[in-house]
Amino acid sequence: MSDTAMEVEKDDAKDSEKLSDSPAKEANANKSEASRPEGGGHFFMNMWTIAKRELVGYLNAPLAYIVICGTLLVVGVQFFLYQGGIWQVDRASMARMFQFIPGLLCFLTIPLFTMRSLSEEKRLGTIELLITMPVRDSEVILGKFVAALGMVTIQILLLSLYPIMMFVAPWHLGAFEWGPFWSGMLGLVLMSGAGCALGLMFSGFTESQILSYFATAVALLALFFIGSVVELVRGPVGDVIAFFSFQSRFDPFARGVIDSRAILYFVSISVLCLLVAFRSLESRKWS
Amino acid sequence: MSTDVMIYANDLSKSYGSFRAVDKVSFEVKRGEVVGFLGPNGAGKSTTMRILTCFLAPSAGTVRVRGFDVFENPLAVRESLGYLPQRAPLYLEMSVLEYLRFAADLRHLDQATFKKRARSVVEVCGLAQVLHKEIRQLSHGYRQRVGLAQALIHDPPILILDEPTSDLDPNEKAEFLDYLKQIGQERTVLLSTHNLKEVETACARAIIISGGRVVADGALDEIRAKSGRVRYVVSVEEQAPSGSGRTPPKKGEVEDALMKLKGVKKVAELPTDERAHTFEITSDRDSDLRADAFQMIVQKGWVLLELHRDTQTLEDVFRHLTIGDERRNRKIVEPGAAASSANDDDDDDDADAEEAN
Repeated sequence: MSDTAMEVEKDDAKDSEKLSDSPAKEANANKSEASRPEGGGHFFMNMWTIAKRELVGYLNAPLAYIVICGTLLVVGVQFFLYQGGIWQVDRASMARMFQFIPGLLCFLTIPLFTMRSLSEEKRLGTIELLITMPVRDSEVILGKFVAALGMVTIQILLLSLYPIMMFVAPWHLGAFEWGPFWSGMLGLVLMSGAGCALGLMFSGFTESQILSYFATAVALLALFFIGSVVELVRGPVGDVIAFFSFQSRFDPFARGVIDSRAILYFVSISVLCLLVAFRSLESRKWS
Repeated sequence: MSTDVMIYANDLSKSYGSFRAVDKVSFEVKRGEVVGFLGPNGAGKSTTMRILTCFLAPSAGTVRVRGFDVFENPLAVRESLGYLPQRAPLYLEMSVLEYLRFAADLRHLDQATFKKRARSVVEVCGLAQVLHKEIRQLSHGYRQRVGLAQALIHDPPILILDEPTSDLDPNEKAEFLDYLKQIGQERTVLLSTHNLKEVETACARAIIISGGRVVADGALDEIRAKSGRVRYVVSVEEQAPSGSGRTPPKKGEVEDALMKLKGVKKVAELPTDERAHTFEITSDRDSDLRADAFQMIVQKGWVLLELHRDTQTLEDVFRHLTIGDERRNRKIVEPGAAASSANDDDDDDDADAEEAN
């Protein structure tokens, strides 16, 4: 430590002496802290601080760009070329895109954005420093959820570049049905919410990113594709499967129908998984 | 409880399954104290600190920080604390400044306060050169400094530092301890380490923990005296003073004379050259033998070559108090016998002391 640093520290010590509370003041401060409601207005502030750090972390790393560009590329290929592409469809519609994108999100985007959320923090031990700050466990979980969902939402919004470029500018290939498109986008975001919550939950179970990735991808794909089984299985069993299937829940959105039961379903899955993630984070205390 | 007690732990226990990491630990740390928290690896230091910072919950017992209970008011506890975990786990992809801002945001410092505090901690921790570097590019020593800076950013009344000097080079250590003395004047600091020199430099008080239990707690001098024995070394010349006409002292004669002194427990000969009889005397710590021994030797007309009292070093005491841990590691203890062997430590004192010396 240099001499100047010492001097500064001394000055600082003087400052804090001035500032430092007399015992009576300190007692008052204690009282006011104790009486401060635990709910507080800090909840969203803390959550946002954590989410912001995560988002900056995503945007500063190459992974986000690779994932986003890769997804756009794959969608582009599917959109224009696969089985004749958009040109084969008579109407100006994105319906075919919505058959394909949810699976891609489930397999690639969502698990890649959630895999490191908690597992990396556990592996490096940074979770200890984060949690011993004056934050609640729930703020940590929600902050990370918001960040992951934010990234997936950016990805989803970028997909709208395709119809915009085809039907608005620079090309004008006809009148585009925007209604079903935006309802489909809403469906994607809702489904991604449930997916991110699930991914966050798996990320909280393990210290390994890879394990977290595969667990999330497999679980999401299973939840998505059991929907295809519905066509084979009729009756009550089929109904039960349809109840849990992401695909069956998502389909109405792609057709332009905003289904309140589906909204409720996706939100419920999100809440449930976030609660489990919260509990698993809390369980460190008792292990 | 007076408001001056900043950290209060009573009967604090933490079990992992059947393993008791911390076993009924009780201590208090008052305002303005710098306390060394000592113990061998795995003694339960980090676990205790994690409980104090509300990262872990205790299995039993009461813990209050600045009067706030860790169960009832964990956020208030954490607001009062600055904590540096072992090996300073930081977000590697952030720059130092970003990290400090992040910590300040979570502590709800406004922009002006942050600037003021950041300037202070950057100068104090010597971070000016690396402020815009990514933490991953920094050496462990610098990461430790960043960890300390984030713990100080909100000017907390209490600092909990878990092995803060483990990654520092000797110069950095010295600087750090200097600094610790300064901040200790107005803050309460609990510092865990297994480096005894650091404790002797920076702390006035130490808590020694071994096998999850507190084995010593008090001012360093008290702890040094903890073993209950003081050691003296006496050397008497073998030859009688020339021209005095006295007979030279015999070995047995000196030994007997020393044995008769008040408070002597044990006299043992130490190997020396031909010129002197040298004895080691063990006595109770309450009395000081030196005056009596000197008088006796003068009366007998012997020539005193050496007489000193060995103050036990903290290291001796530490080894003496914690050596049971190492023993337990080396022998397989029946599950039922584990508790009793821990209690046996006191009975083993003599053997331990000999090993330690």
